[in-house]
Amino acid sequence: MSALLELRHVGKTYTSARTGDSVEALADIDLALRNGEFLAVVGPSGCGKSTLLSLVAGFAEPTSGEVLFEGARVIAPSPARGVIFQDYALFPWRTVHGNVVFGPWARGVPQATRDERARELIAMVGLAGFEHRYPHELSGGMRQRCALARMLANDPKLWLMDEPLAAVDLQTRIILQDELLRLWGDEPSVANRPTVMFVTHGIDEAVLLADRVLVLGRRPGRIKALVEVTLPRPRAALRTSPEVARLVEQVWNLIRDEAAQAIVEETH
Amino acid sequence: MSYALTAPLPTRIRVLLPVAVLVIATVLWEIAVRSTRSQGLMPMPSGIALSGFELTRSGVILEAMAGSLQRVAIGFVIGALIGIPLGLAVGTLRPLERSLRPVLDGLRSIAPIAWIPMAILWLGVRGNAALFVVSYAATFPFLVSASQAVRLVDPRLIDAARALGASRWDLLRAVLVPSTLPMLFTGARIALAFAWGSIIAAELAIGIKIAGQGRNVAGIGQLMVETLYVKRDVDALVFYMLAIGIVSLAIDAGLRHLQRRVLPWDRQ
Repeated sequence: MSALLELRHVGKTYTSARTGDSVEALADIDLALRNGEFLAVVGPSGCGKSTLLSLVAGFAEPTSGEVLFEGARVIAPSPARGVIFQDYALFPWRTVHGNVVFGPWARGVPQATRDERARELIAMVGLAGFEHRYPHELSGGMRQRCALARMLANDPKLWLMDEPLAAVDLQTRIILQDELLRLWGDEPSVANRPTVMFVTHGIDEAVLLADRVLVLGRRPGRIKALVEVTLPRPRAALRTSPEVARLVEQVWNLIRDEAAQAIVEETH
Repeated sequence: MSYALTAPLPTRIRVLLPVAVLVIATVLWEIAVRSTRSQGLMPMPSGIALSGFELTRSGVILEAMAGSLQRVAIGFVIGALIGIPLGLAVGTLRPLERSLRPVLDGLRSIAPIAWIPMAILWLGVRGNAALFVVSYAATFPFLVSASQAVRLVDPRLIDAARALGASRWDLLRAVLVPSTLPMLFTGARIALAFAWGSIIAAELAIGIKIAGQGRNVAGIGQLMVETLYVKRDVDALVFYMLAIGIVSLAIDAGLRHLQRRVLPWDRQ
């Protein structure tokens, strides 16, 4: 089966327009995502996790190499690649309903169809009854559910998620992890799952959710390891299993030294 | 905001206290003016009330107010028509900002009323001079808020909209316009306050010459000049001052109400 997403020797260097200084954020990323796979991306802060995601989304272009989605070079964002932002990035002037219908509206889907779909999705993410609330009237967890429904309204083949659960409290995070798995299709019988690229700080979260965990090193961000998570699905039940703990330990050992280094550098 | 370090006051006292202070001060004021026989030089509450009643009944104040407000409204619209497009352009195009900034900052720092002599020279005293000053005063709040507003558009929201399939036109109407509205609204409130403040000053400076020559040119400022030099009526003068204050409050309260109605999602 051909890869849905392929990164070939991707590098990204940022150059400051003012000072001319350049920082190499990513170097030589070679990666292919299998169709329907859940890939988690972890690494110490400053490893270019978010940069990687924005290259795949099409918000920025790589300075070297290329990003291929369904065989075509990514040069701009596309509704086929849905994005979830850490800070939700909901439109504050639109209600929950207004946010969810944005994608179909922009793509010219007829109003009756998009309203119907929005109703379904809002119910599916557990926001029924909150259709007419504005984002500022919602809790962090509810905003993230709304962002999820907004992305799903476009039926994207690829979900790009940038630390989507970093801003909610621990209990909400556990609940949202389970719901994310459910929406993606955690049951082994599910066919045609979407493909996910999930950037996170949480190694336990990465191991619990993903089929593979991409471990990035820092300065410049490069692939350090690609860990296969061979745990069976559904995963929700395995949260406290020793296998998960063992894999978390394994990934943590790959990151620890550089994470410590990152803390030291950031305090300077 | 409360000044007090003590516990909040009971509701009845909270309402009655300022009323009582006002009543007592008014009575003392009246007694002071009467006992020192300074009527005619010092205004007196009973005289102000009497003048107010008389001037309202005869329609003098309403006509003058209408004249001033009409010019404020026209100046406000002119200010918006010049300030908003210019502000949007300056906020978006760096070279334009760089080249116009010194000129605009320079012009902005000249108090609008300092233009009155030039305005009289160019436009005469029949009302257009005042209109010029008012338009000038209203332009800069619009300009500043519009240029700030476009600069402060959240880039994440642009990314989010593009990833959902928004075209450039969609971005303009569905992201840029709504996200600049709150700041533009605040700019409009400041513009109107500036316009109202400078119309009084302009009319005072243009002065008596025009009073009585035509209904649509005379405003509250001219009326005050006439009251000062011809009628020497302090009570009426203070009544005009109160009326000016009340109109300011009413305008701002009206706009704030409108802002809440039109932009219910804006938390300020």
